Amino acid sequence: MPSFTAQLPNLQALGPTVDMRVWIGTPVEEAMKKTGTKLPDPVAVKAMIDTGATGSVIQPAIAQSLGLQPIGVVSICTPSSENVPCYQYVVRLLFPNNVIVEAVAVEAPLKGQQIQCLIGRDVLAHAVLVYTGYINQFTLSF
Amino acid sequence: MVEALSTELKTYAANFETLIGANEGKFVVIHKDEILGTFDSQMDAIKWGYRELGNTPFLVKQVTKIEVPLSFVSNLLAV
Repeated sequence: MPSFTAQLPNLQALGPTVDMRVWIGTPVEEAMKKTGTKLPDPVAVKAMIDTGATGSVIQPAIAQSLGLQPIGVVSICTPSSENVPCYQYVVRLLFPNNVIVEAVAVEAPLKGQQIQCLIGRDVLAHAVLVYTGYINQFTLSF
Repeated sequence: MVEALSTELKTYAANFETLIGANEGKFVVIHKDEILGTFDSQMDAIKWGYRELGNTPFLVKQVTKIEVPLSFVSNLLAV
């Protein structure tokens, strides 16, 4: 079972965050190869596993630097907003330990500089998340 | 805010009655003012869209009467 374990200095304070990369989805890669387009490098991000998020989220700059084009629009609701339309993009989430997940991510700005990506319940729907608070560790298995 | 797909969203709205009659629950692929196909799964529609259209904006949307927004409990999103 593909999995990775993250060890943090203070899991309660930082939340379940992980250093990972975001890349173009497989259909995008195939389309780019077909036209001889140079494939972009994956973008390094700090992501947070967010069980309160229906879907996964990427910062707007990520789609731009990967040369991604939107393939959908979805409305989102947050504690401070309702029905905000946002683009969707096909991405590959490259977790540590060569764990790769294909996802349709929502593009939305995230507060602050620390987190550039949210891993939502669309990804967790295929996973087992083990949150071991007393040793500041979590494991995500697919 | 979603200008790149505004034509596709208008096309979806203009053809909604026809789409919902025959394709409720399916995923439609729309490019500009053309409805190109319907598929059983979102990823099938996306793969087909990229194969036929390349890396260009197109709309994959589930044909449904009630659209449920994605919800985010935490305050991390700046929208």
